[in-house]
Amino acid sequence: MINYIIKRVIMMIPILFGISILSFAIMYAAPGKPAILNLDPEISPEVREAQAERLGLNDPVPVQYMRWLGNVAQGDFGTSYSRKIPVTDMILERLPNTILLMASSLFIAAIIAIPFGVISATRQYSLTDYGVTVGSFLGLATPNFWLGIMLIMLFSVQLGWTPVGGISTIGADFSILDRLHHLILPAFVLATADMAGLTRYTRSSMLEVINQDYIRTARAKGFRERRVVYKHGLRNGLIPVITMFGLMLPTMIGGSAIVESVFNWPGIGKLFIDATFQRDYPVIMAITMFGALLTVIGNLVADILYAVLDPRIEY
Amino acid sequence: MANKKWLSLLGLALAFMLVLAACGGNGASTDEEPADDGTDEAAGPQQGGSVVLGTSGEPVTFNDLYSQDTASSDIIKLIHASLLESNEELELVPMIAVDLPEVSEDGLEYTYTLREDVVFHDGEPLTAEDVKFTYDIFLHEDYTGPRAGDFTELESVEVIDPYTVTFILNEVDASFVTRSGYGILPKHILEDVPVADLEEHMEYNLDNPIGAGPFVFETYENGQYIEVSAFDDYFDGRPYLDKVTFRIFADTNAELLAFETGEIDWMILPATEYKTAETYDHARISSVLALRYDYIGWNNNRAPFDDVRVRQALTMAIDRELLVETIMDGRAEVAHAPASPLSWAYPDGVTEFAYDPEGALELLAEAGWEPGADGILEKDGEKFSFEILSNDGNVVRRDIGVIVQQMLGEIGIEVEARQMEWGAFLDRINPPNYDFDAVVLAWALALDPDPTAIWHSREIENGLNNISYVNDRVDELAGGNKQIIDQDERAAVIGEIYEILAEEQPYTYLFYPEQHMLLANRIEGFTHHPRENMYRLNEWYVTE
Repeated sequence: MINYIIKRVIMMIPILFGISILSFAIMYAAPGKPAILNLDPEISPEVREAQAERLGLNDPVPVQYMRWLGNVAQGDFGTSYSRKIPVTDMILERLPNTILLMASSLFIAAIIAIPFGVISATRQYSLTDYGVTVGSFLGLATPNFWLGIMLIMLFSVQLGWTPVGGISTIGADFSILDRLHHLILPAFVLATADMAGLTRYTRSSMLEVINQDYIRTARAKGFRERRVVYKHGLRNGLIPVITMFGLMLPTMIGGSAIVESVFNWPGIGKLFIDATFQRDYPVIMAITMFGALLTVIGNLVADILYAVLDPRIEY
Repeated sequence: MANKKWLSLLGLALAFMLVLAACGGNGASTDEEPADDGTDEAAGPQQGGSVVLGTSGEPVTFNDLYSQDTASSDIIKLIHASLLESNEELELVPMIAVDLPEVSEDGLEYTYTLREDVVFHDGEPLTAEDVKFTYDIFLHEDYTGPRAGDFTELESVEVIDPYTVTFILNEVDASFVTRSGYGILPKHILEDVPVADLEEHMEYNLDNPIGAGPFVFETYENGQYIEVSAFDDYFDGRPYLDKVTFRIFADTNAELLAFETGEIDWMILPATEYKTAETYDHARISSVLALRYDYIGWNNNRAPFDDVRVRQALTMAIDRELLVETIMDGRAEVAHAPASPLSWAYPDGVTEFAYDPEGALELLAEAGWEPGADGILEKDGEKFSFEILSNDGNVVRRDIGVIVQQMLGEIGIEVEARQMEWGAFLDRINPPNYDFDAVVLAWALALDPDPTAIWHSREIENGLNNISYVNDRVDELAGGNKQIIDQDERAAVIGEIYEILAEEQPYTYLFYPEQHMLLANRIEGFTHHPRENMYRLNEWYVTE
């Protein structure tokens, strides 16, 4: 097991390396220059040129890449072109907000999706099952940004129950209730897409478990159905579901970019979108690498969890 | 049995959400309403209260010497004070200077006398030393900010006595006085910071900017809000408002929603949302002509736009009155020259091309363009067909492209209206690419009407003359206009340039748009400045 983990961790290095080359190349191939060079037409071309020179943007892309790599090796992700502060600071400033949003949405997804999945499985082909299926596909098919706007229109503008966006009430002291109040809509929207997948996944996993011999044995022993399903079945049925959480983590960064923009939630995702429009290369690279790192770690954790939870699996 | 479980789970989930919504709702409503100790009857300005303003940009720096975006400069205007400022008629008026500068006979020396009651937010007095310190940074060889090229005419800044300072130029520059609007920096705080490091000295620039303006910087939460509070010792009297908060939004849609729900009190209203905002009971709209014009730029370096007759014909074939009616809902004026009617250099009369598709066809025939078999104009076997570019996300420009496509189609010109992402769009229209036929854009104009930067031929290679316009007479006139100190004389020279540009139509000047601001009814004392978003915020007050 230890060997396996070490092997996997070592393999992460070339993967991340490859991702960095690819994203660097794609980023520079895209048309458009960093916004710092485009802003304010009153600024003279000489000044722009001097700025480009200072930022090293006139060097060939491979040279720029090697410089970037060298700095990253020393833990320096560079300084944001647009905000002129270290990129690491920017990410650290935004990261807690994104983590809070993602954790809440995972929580909402789990508490809603897992029970629905189990019910769906135990009542296979019933009306409830079909209802859940339709519901989860609806959730999957509904674009996050659209759902977000609809919910803002309903809950914020029409009913006035929730704020239209942001992370806290301006001018108010920090309070957990206030934060939750701002969190509820974006977290719910972000959860919908995952809910759908999670419900389907729980359902099929439970179906498989329910038809296993040991369940039949449990039933034969005369246990009540509820106990059979929840005590014996659920535990095993959730193994693959739990590992799925690890894999969901990086995809949520992608999803959160849109939700964060709609709800004006100052997290990593919104930072990434802003940086992309401004061609703020250091920020784009840092967040891309962060996402890549999360993906490979998420995969690794999922595999390890699988092994821990299911002793039948050996490496 | 399982049914019950299902229901209870659902119930639990719903209850969870409702509880959150309810609790939070209470919290928000009590926090949102600022405490106002004023009485109900609006008897003149009242002290106290706060407002929340919407903004859709993230500020970068609160140091005026390095700012180049409106989100930053809006707040800089509140924190910092400058020698002069412009009033809503766009005239320069004294701010911390006692009066307009005294200019020497030869036009090379500008002497300012400062008020003696101006203090920085930390209590230190603002003196001539601080003014010299600030402007010396522009002259320093290590200065990295965007205004490096703006001060080539400035030779040195001399302190005459603690409250008198003289700017010495090496060349006459009539526009120099418009550069007296930079926020003065405190020498006692920044003198030990090397100029090369000043741009990234965020300890001052972002975390703790100290100025002598009406408001004191309090906090900036990235991506969320900026808060400033009234400066008690402001030389022009303490502002009425206790606190002003700028809330940062991702876009104007979100801003408008927040306005509708009462979360913000003020925002810049895009023309496209005018009708929506008109329905609000709790707000009013203020409109003035903006200091800008919208245009279609023709690539003068590319056939057929290199022919002046073709450009004139294109303008005649575009019904600009109709554009103003349909796209701007009538809230704009048709433009005929590259200058704003608000400017002192705006000429009395220039050549005007009225909507005249027949005349356009005649002019085009003169230039050799005749209808082909399919009705499309042709010349030497080439069809009159081109692409009109605009940036996406801008509904007004997109619509202009589409309507112009239709108007020109009616006289047999094939146009494709195309939108591109802003960065990619700039890549195509800017040097060195110049890869476009026609482009829909707008210019926000500076206080000084110097047309050189856009129209001089030396600005083609690496400047703003990206349509490659060349006219020797314009070059000659533009080259010397800044040396003319007398404003009327200079206006005549600039007026001649405008006349040539109106005649030759390197652009089709579309319209001068109005600029709208949406503000809650409880705000009083508001003055609408055509160029500044946060004008005289120290005079605002709220009635509840």
